[in-house]
Amino acid sequence: MTAANPTVSLLEARALSFLRQDEPVFAPLDFQLHAGELALVEGDNGSGKTTLLRILAGLLHVGEGELHWRGEPLQRDTCAGEILFLGHQLGLKADLSPRENLQIAAGLHGCRDGVSVTAVLAEIGLRGYEDEPVRRLSAGQKKRAALARLLLLPATLWLLDEPYANLDRIGIALVNDLLEKHTDAGGAALVTSHGTMSFHGGEPRRIRMHD
Amino acid sequence: MNRAGLLAACTAMLRRDLTLAWRRRGDIAMPVLYALIVTMLFPFALGPEDTLLQRIAGGVVLVTVLLAMLLALDAMFSSDIEDGSLEQLVMAPQPLALMLGMKILAHWITTALPLIVIAPLMAAMLHLPGAVIPVLLLALLLATPLLSLLGAVLVALTAGTRRSGMLLALMLLPLCVPAVIFAAGAVAAAQQGLPWLAPISWLAAALVLAVVLAPLACAAALRIALDA
Repeated sequence: MTAANPTVSLLEARALSFLRQDEPVFAPLDFQLHAGELALVEGDNGSGKTTLLRILAGLLHVGEGELHWRGEPLQRDTCAGEILFLGHQLGLKADLSPRENLQIAAGLHGCRDGVSVTAVLAEIGLRGYEDEPVRRLSAGQKKRAALARLLLLPATLWLLDEPYANLDRIGIALVNDLLEKHTDAGGAALVTSHGTMSFHGGEPRRIRMHD
Repeated sequence: MNRAGLLAACTAMLRRDLTLAWRRRGDIAMPVLYALIVTMLFPFALGPEDTLLQRIAGGVVLVTVLLAMLLALDAMFSSDIEDGSLEQLVMAPQPLALMLGMKILAHWITTALPLIVIAPLMAAMLHLPGAVIPVLLLALLLATPLLSLLGAVLVALTAGTRRSGMLLALMLLPLCVPAVIFAAGAVAAAQQGLPWLAPISWLAAALVLAVVLAPLACAAALRIALDA
């Protein structure tokens, strides 16, 4: 890992926008995200929150403007494995159990020191469901199984698209807990949400999307 | 922090796809059943005349196996795109082409290998002489991975479009013609006691080329499919 330089922001967008059929999806955005920071992406339905996250994840190309990662132009190789994206599609195979799904993720991304798949699943509240096919889990449990990746995989920046959807009150508290621990450990996160969030560490940064 | 090694990632990928295929064993059985039924119908349609069946046996087995493989082809990436697994795979700190190569290998193991296993049975049903069967198997062992690789590129190219099945069949046709010609040519040559090494070498050369290039093309095509 490169040593964290506090003066250089982890992620910086300069006049970032995205065009779909030559129409801008959102107005040019400028923001910086430093290590240990949490930012909330706000906007109405269709304002481009998911599009923004997919651009930052490297899945969509940058339309206009610039995107910098640790001061360098964002490229696939420079940030490989440092960004973890959790979208609407959870990326779980329905025929496999949460345990198998996590083992595959760990095989591809590596895993944090001193964490095991079993411990992670217990922490995320799926004790007793480790070997049940994901197909048979409830929507909230599926979400938890996907969130378990956050605990297992090493990543600096989390991009979470609606992480609170389908979760009960305990689940929401759990996500807030995860975010707090992550930012305390020097990580950063970008979160989209319609719901109200109550962070322990005070008000998060806000990025407002405009058409 | 434990970085994932290349070998661990390849194993994880291969095991994942093989486990998934095993959980849906019925889907593996389908192409096999199809190939068996088609081969069984030929003697009924053409009459049980030995010389005629012997003459067409090699070609029928090859074409049937290749068509049976097409049945399972368009499902290669669709479920991964639908459930978001592909996004996770693209973002993993691993060479995407190599990971897709593993997926194609798993696909070949689950669809083509069972067909190759029953190919001697199919050949025997059409009275192909026993001495030619090793050449037929060799031709299949080279032609089926070639088709898997070419098919994967086309599936990746049509991944973004809906109802891609028809388009896929149209695009694949010209690409699988050379594979059929060389494979059937080798079997026919062996049947007539002629040297069959040249067409087999052509197949092998095409396979080597496809092994190197197809996964790279797949990776590029799937990145474009996601970027929409």
